[in-house]
Amino acid sequence: MRGVKLALLGGLGAVAIALVLTLLGSPMSVARTNKVPGNETTIWTTTHGATYCQGHEVLPAGISAIRIWLDAAAGPRVNVVVSSRGHTIASGSRGSIWIGGSVTVPVKPLARAVDDVTVCAAFRLHDETIVVQGSSTPRSLAAYDGRQALDGRMGVEYLRTGTRSWLSLASEVARRMGLGREPAGTWVVLLALALLAGAIALSSRLLVEELT
Amino acid sequence: VRCPLRGVPRAAWICALVAILNAASWSIVTPPFQSPDETDHFAYVKQLAETGELPSSSSEQVSSEEVGVLVGLNALRVRLQPQVHTIASRSEQDALRKNLALASLGATPGSPAAGVAASQPPLYYALETIPYELARGSSELGRLQLMRLMSALFAGLTAMFVFLFVRETLPGVRWAWTVAGLAVALAPLLGFMSGSVNPDSLLFAISAAIFYTLARAFRRGLDWRTAAALGALTALGLLTKVNFLGLLPGVLLGLALLSVRAARSRGRAAYRLLALGVGVALSPVAVYVLSNLLAGHHTLGIVSSAAQHMHRSLLDEASYIWQLYLPRLPGMVGDFPGISTTRQLWFNGYVGLYGWLDTPFPAWAQTVALVPAAALVALCGRALVQGRALLRARAVELVVYAAMALGLMLLIGADSYAAFPATDAEYAQARYLLPLLALLGAALALAARGAGRRWGPIVGVLIVVLFVAHDVFSQLQTVARFYG
Repeated sequence: MRGVKLALLGGLGAVAIALVLTLLGSPMSVARTNKVPGNETTIWTTTHGATYCQGHEVLPAGISAIRIWLDAAAGPRVNVVVSSRGHTIASGSRGSIWIGGSVTVPVKPLARAVDDVTVCAAFRLHDETIVVQGSSTPRSLAAYDGRQALDGRMGVEYLRTGTRSWLSLASEVARRMGLGREPAGTWVVLLALALLAGAIALSSRLLVEELT
Repeated sequence: VRCPLRGVPRAAWICALVAILNAASWSIVTPPFQSPDETDHFAYVKQLAETGELPSSSSEQVSSEEVGVLVGLNALRVRLQPQVHTIASRSEQDALRKNLALASLGATPGSPAAGVAASQPPLYYALETIPYELARGSSELGRLQLMRLMSALFAGLTAMFVFLFVRETLPGVRWAWTVAGLAVALAPLLGFMSGSVNPDSLLFAISAAIFYTLARAFRRGLDWRTAAALGALTALGLLTKVNFLGLLPGVLLGLALLSVRAARSRGRAAYRLLALGVGVALSPVAVYVLSNLLAGHHTLGIVSSAAQHMHRSLLDEASYIWQLYLPRLPGMVGDFPGISTTRQLWFNGYVGLYGWLDTPFPAWAQTVALVPAAALVALCGRALVQGRALLRARAVELVVYAAMALGLMLLIGADSYAAFPATDAEYAQARYLLPLLALLGAALALAARGAGRRWGPIVGVLIVVLFVAHDVFSQLQTVARFYG
């Protein structure tokens, strides 16, 4: 049946186009971070809702997401507000059920960098624990929840879309994929691609045989 | 004796091959020890292969060799930290090689501690000792890769049995079997789990085989071979993973109902088939209970520890389990405030949660995924409405499948409730529902048929292409997270 072949060609063509468009996009990269490598520590633990803020941050231009170092098993909804002189200049939220040592919250990019901003992360908790990761600092510089100072500054990273596309990074990514395994080498990426392509080719052939 | 695989159609073999290739691809894409509990499962195999004994501790203190590899890979920092990537430089690779060499020098046989895997039955791990031994002379990483490929073979069996199950349950439309078999073969969650060292991969294959055997028995009647096969598969399931206990009541119900049906033509002799099936099925349980009694342990061993959590109100537990899957009903105390468990835990979890469950798709992709999912549900519903007369005629068979699904969901719910409220939904992971892949295959075949005689094959092709797209982008998402 001609319709089956057309559907298969059209469907796989659409997948190929989506793939190319994805590869032409760029990954996020860290534009600025307040993390000091080797100095990361737990600065607070809470089982209650809170709004943690910290001042003296710099919001770089073109930031499309802010990553806060909060650790949770299944994190709650988190709202992030960036303010300067009492005015909100960027904000965003991330839905619940995020896992791991940080939460990345998308925000609308600003055209210019803004110095001395305050970043606040707010969430509500129900039978959960949130661990705040960051670096120890004097109380005067520490993040705070209302009047309560935490034991240091929260880890905050500012992310923006990178300048290089995934496609241009492909050889670098392939090289990394070849490390930390046995057998090692970039050729394993070609093997993975061949296996996947083989699976798709076999599926297509079977569909044409059985459905036409 | 006729080989049971002789009647398997060529299309089913190709579905199996597709699933194996896909899982093998996943085994390369997923970095070593970056899938759920793979460190513990590897330790179990190491212990069994090198000492012939089962692990004796559920501590996470795995062998020094494995720790050396984990340190060299920076695996513990990568795990659950989506912003941390795998090792990326030649110097890190050299350090890993040194760690591997050092670890092998001071190695002691086995790994008495195997973390969460220690409480699992031994069948999968015993099978994995074959690739472990075949890779003797290779490092832990070489062994792990070969063990992952063994799991990939189980993905092939899963896809094949799903194909055969759909052939038995929906015999009228031949092309729909292929749609179901291929879609399941390309399901990314199956590929991901079967591309890693995890007993789930064998559990999926055994569960699919049981669904097929039950469907065959309902269509052709219960004979001694089918009863023995059902019993043997059930025994294998019990020897593979504790989660199989969730399917057990449904399987036993199926055997009982099939025996009652067979008794109409064969008289009381049919109940001997029931005794045969149940006897074979429960033999591992009998051996387990006996060995516990002889060793002076609690009769039900680790299972009894789960039962100890039953001290809370049954009504509260029922309410929790309901809310774990479905929206809260009026009068229930909210156990998951602000969360749609159906969508956020199960649907989004199925759409994609790879690595140590730390690699999801972005929120917009999870929302977009609702569109094809809703279309599939609507088409499947249409097919069910059109075939409602047939459904009534096969109500008993459907009750058995429903009992198996319900049993598994209750087990996951009860286990999660045992960890609640310290953890909201400990076992609310879509992978735990993959023993029901045969039902997903049947639902997809129905969805294609629901499009009607003219459009059915075209929709069938589009369903498979949808699974291709899901699989390709899931692997890309994993690549971006770990190596980007």
